Amino acid sequence: MEKKTPAKGKPSFEKALEELEKIAERLEDGSLGLEESIAEFERGSRLARYCREKLDEAERRIEILQKGGDGTVEKRAVRVKPDTGEIEDDEDLQGSLL
Amino acid sequence: MEDHTYSVSEITRLLKKSIEGNPDFTSVWVKGELSNVTYHSSGHIYFTLKDESAVLSSAFFKYANKSLSFRLEEGMSVLAMGSFTVYEKRGSYQFIVAQMRLEGVGELLKRIEQLKNKLLDQGLLDPARKKIKPFLPRRIGVVTSPTGAAIRDIIKVAMRRFPNIEIVLAPAKVQGADAAASIVRGIEELNNRAHAIDVIICGRGGGSFEDLLPFNEEPVVRAILSSRVPVISAVGHQIDHPLSDDAADYSAPTPSAAAEIAVPVKSELVGEIDYLAIRAQTSLASRMTHLTNRLSGIAALRCFRNPREIVSMRELSLVDLEQRITAALKDAVAGGRQRLLALPDLHRLWRSEARERRSRLDVAWGAVEKLSPRGVLERGYSLVTDARGRIIRSVRAVKSGESIGVAVADGSMGCTVNTIQREVRGGKENAGKGKAEL
Repeated sequence: MEKKTPAKGKPSFEKALEELEKIAERLEDGSLGLEESIAEFERGSRLARYCREKLDEAERRIEILQKGGDGTVEKRAVRVKPDTGEIEDDEDLQGSLL
Repeated sequence: MEDHTYSVSEITRLLKKSIEGNPDFTSVWVKGELSNVTYHSSGHIYFTLKDESAVLSSAFFKYANKSLSFRLEEGMSVLAMGSFTVYEKRGSYQFIVAQMRLEGVGELLKRIEQLKNKLLDQGLLDPARKKIKPFLPRRIGVVTSPTGAAIRDIIKVAMRRFPNIEIVLAPAKVQGADAAASIVRGIEELNNRAHAIDVIICGRGGGSFEDLLPFNEEPVVRAILSSRVPVISAVGHQIDHPLSDDAADYSAPTPSAAAEIAVPVKSELVGEIDYLAIRAQTSLASRMTHLTNRLSGIAALRCFRNPREIVSMRELSLVDLEQRITAALKDAVAGGRQRLLALPDLHRLWRSEARERRSRLDVAWGAVEKLSPRGVLERGYSLVTDARGRIIRSVRAVKSGESIGVAVADGSMGCTVNTIQREVRGGKENAGKGKAEL
């Protein structure tokens, strides 16, 4: 099975979100001392920022793989009509089949 | 007869003309079983159509078989439409196929079922083998036709859900004889770590049973099973259920649904993060408010509000204490004075008591004095000591001729022992000369 945490040290988005959820719960049940609460809140803020960053990490890019002359596979970015999702390309896409 | 002799070429040409020009042999449908299927490198397919008692040599040329949606295999029952032609050089006739349909799907379904059972027996469709896709994929890979409806739907849905998603398309043929190989290449390529793909959508839009056949083929199924990256199978419409669905880690009824499975809704995630952050913030804020209120409640106490009061309060009690002490002192002095007035009586009493005590003391002292050696001497006794001043209590302590001292009430004398006489209790014992002489 594939490893679920991609970057070393950094939690996965899922883990971070789960942790954030736990922090909100702990803060709400009010069992923590003030110092602990502030520490937890700071950790929560960091996690929320991390999660938001994760969501914005990728930039929209639609790429198409094609075989180069020497047999290597290259990636070529293509434009897409936002309303239909259709690949906007003048070139013969069938010709780019792997 | 003789004047009607044809050359081989002539008669063959005549035959060709009568067959190729005959509408009975043009665009006809022929039903048969495929055998001797040969895929030629030129792209043409050659095979024999046969039934129980006859065979028909056939050719399916490249321009015509382009639209073929399945791979021709031995024993397949097909319906072929085409025309007859005579090949003069060989003296043979051939059925030139323009299009072909599967005659019965029963056989194919049986084969698919057999493949599925084989995979089941090998434990390859075990649910425990299913890989889990990440909740938030960095990039999604898609194996489908670059021009089909599937990629359009996937892009549209994915972009709507997650506007900045990255999609890598491995363009593949999704129908026809070489579709399976093309799909396998796509899956394998997207498994290349360099592409950093987190989940693969593999599929196509709806089509006929034959159109979907590549997704039932063993190489495709095996490629999905051995993919390192989790695969979502998305083939056709709701009702279609090819083997790729069984082999994949997730199966979606349509390509759009596959995009929904692959990509979370960004706005919902942002909303959830914001909601959690706000929950954390409000609970911390309310805790702070609560603590602040408690603190200001305490701070609002008089002592903190007016710290001088602490001093003035102490001052007040100090003054009070002073007054009380002064008063007490005054009382004590007054009381003392009162008692002082009553003192002469006491003094008198004390004096008479003292007198009485003195007389008692005199009596006691007299008794004590009588017991003292001096008193004893005054009563007429004397004290005899040896030369060292030790009191002589026995005649045995002195020898005749020894000097002794004798003390009486008003002085002492030095004497010499002349005789010693020992007195026996209850009688007299003469112990020689021991009588003291003055």
